[in-house]
Amino acid sequence: MTRKSVDELLATTRFETDEHNAHIVIDPQACRTCPSDRACVTSCPAQRYVWDEAADQMRFDHVGCLECGNCRLVCERLRLGAEGYSWNYPATGAGVSYRQG
Amino acid sequence: MADEDAFDAIVVGGGFAGLAAAYRLAQADKSVLVVERGQVCGAKNLTGGRIYAYALQALLGDRWREAPVQREVKREIISLLTEQDAVNVDSTLTSVEEESYTVLAAPLLAWLAEQAEEAGAMIVTETTVDGLIIRDGRVCGVTTGDEQLEASVVIDCEGINPLLLERAGLIRPLDPHDVAVGAKFVFGMPAAEVEQRFGVQPGEGAALLGMGDPTHGVFGGVFAYTNNESVSLGLVVDSAAWAKSGRSLLATAQDLQEHPALRRYVGDAELLEYGAHLVYEGGYDTLPQMSGDGWLICGDAAGLCLNRGFTIRGMDYAVMSGIAAADTVVEAVEAGDTGPTGLAGYRRRLDEGLLQDFRTLRGGHAWMSGTPDLFTVYPKLAVDLMTDLYHVGAEPVRPVGSTVWRTARKVRKPFSTARSLLKGMKTL
Ligand SMILES: Cc1cc2nc3c(=O)[nH]c(=O)nc-3n(C[C@H](O)[C@H](O)[C@H](O)COP(=O)(O)OP(=O)(O)OC[C@H]3O[C@@H](n4cnc5c(N)ncnc54)[C@H](O)[C@@H]3O)c2cc1C
Ligand code: SF4
Ligand code: SF4
Repeated sequence: MTRKSVDELLATTRFETDEHNAHIVIDPQACRTCPSDRACVTSCPAQRYVWDEAADQMRFDHVGCLECGNCRLVCERLRLGAEGYSWNYPATGAGVSYRQG
Repeated sequence: MADEDAFDAIVVGGGFAGLAAAYRLAQADKSVLVVERGQVCGAKNLTGGRIYAYALQALLGDRWREAPVQREVKREIISLLTEQDAVNVDSTLTSVEEESYTVLAAPLLAWLAEQAEEAGAMIVTETTVDGLIIRDGRVCGVTTGDEQLEASVVIDCEGINPLLLERAGLIRPLDPHDVAVGAKFVFGMPAAEVEQRFGVQPGEGAALLGMGDPTHGVFGGVFAYTNNESVSLGLVVDSAAWAKSGRSLLATAQDLQEHPALRRYVGDAELLEYGAHLVYEGGYDTLPQMSGDGWLICGDAAGLCLNRGFTIRGMDYAVMSGIAAADTVVEAVEAGDTGPTGLAGYRRRLDEGLLQDFRTLRGGHAWMSGTPDLFTVYPKLAVDLMTDLYHVGAEPVRPVGSTVWRTARKVRKPFSTARSLLKGMKTL
């Protein structure tokens, strides 16, 4: 059995993506001084958070987010709504659209 | 008070709780509006899952039989897993009648939405509620974009991430220690294949709950459910403990498909969908205030989900709390008091109903999350014991008694272990 990449996995799930409006906002540079051991990277079940070693900053892609809310809890800044960090659902029916659930 | 064209009730969220409340209110001829952010009801929802039929019966009467549930659970498997092996407690409960059914949330909720609409509820989808309208401490409706929608009562069924309630200060913010995260794969295969792989009769189904190595010592478990033409396979782990573990959640979930004891259920099947969702598991002591001036909370938003390790129950409690909320609102609207006193009957209904379970199982979550041996040592012991019992080699045979004794001695502190297990039996 060959293991699927995260993109292949997420390709099986339907998304009605709003490419332009991110429902979750982080501050990629401020993430350098993360108070939460960058738990977002390992705890996001869709691997939306990737630490970019070369650029020394966080990369976050809201496209493909499963809207589970786990990053909102494990990231102290998202949880407390720190400056530059906010967690919301997409405004309309955008985002994940399960057929099985 | 509410003006002429305000609704009797606005329901936030068209999930299990919201649609149950809406259906019940519509049946009692109350005007009710459901606001759901998904493209359709069911699009944003994910469950394990199996639903206990009593809740559907309570909501729909015998009509629940038309509901698109999957298979009736006739076989229960508890699986103690090490890295390579498994010891299974396999129960074939063929005499049990219609106790529980496997389900997929999307089709079931789409159907429930139809029933609610037919009964007279109004459902608006693709609309996210941004805030609650609060005047002088009273919840009077909801806002979405520039729109203000007013109602005598708002029934909040927004699910596991209760942003609206948190932001309005009506409940304390969700604590990562009270929550687990679930990742789930649905694999498609023909019905006959499902039946063959799980050893069940046509139309019948199985539920597997696994504990042990796959969660790497973190409180949680593995589940597999048979659907009509697919198998749901996934993992539920404590959110806070997982974050500390530093392991990749996705990679760990993917490992399930390769576990020798699990891959036979899904190996080579086509992946239909991948998803993730949080599960509430705080238990009785973390429950919020359930109602107030013009508002009530149901389902996951109210913490009404119990994770006992070998079962997760949230859908049936969501439905039952939706019914209790609706009945309370009907009474309150008819009595002309939708303030805190008029709605206080909700808590009473819950106390006499589903909260009895929460009281009985009080402490269960603390015990399980505080007993890591459950997820490491005990599965390993079970597998070691079975391995020794079945082992045949060149060396002389040992009597069963000495094999059991040798395995038991591997438990470091047999007395405290026994005490801990007895305590667990009381809380679960
Ligand atoms: C992996 C996993 C396995 C599980 N296994 C089981 C099981 O086997 N058996 C069982 O009984 N339970 C199980 N559960 C729990 C069960 O799924 C939940 O308890 C249940 O779905 C809760 O129903 P609900 O109506 O409260 O919330 P949901 O079904 O989540 O509904 C909430 C709804 O509100 C909508 N919403 C949220 N915010 C807004 C907003 N601002 N505006 C508009 N709409 C909004 C959402 O889109 C959603 O439709 C499991 C859960 C998970 C994640
Ligand atoms: S946990 Fe939060 S602050 Fe830390 S790296 Fe991730 S997003 Fe940034
Ligand atoms: S909500 Fe869930 S899927 Fe989306 S980015 Fe956060 S952790 Fe990842």
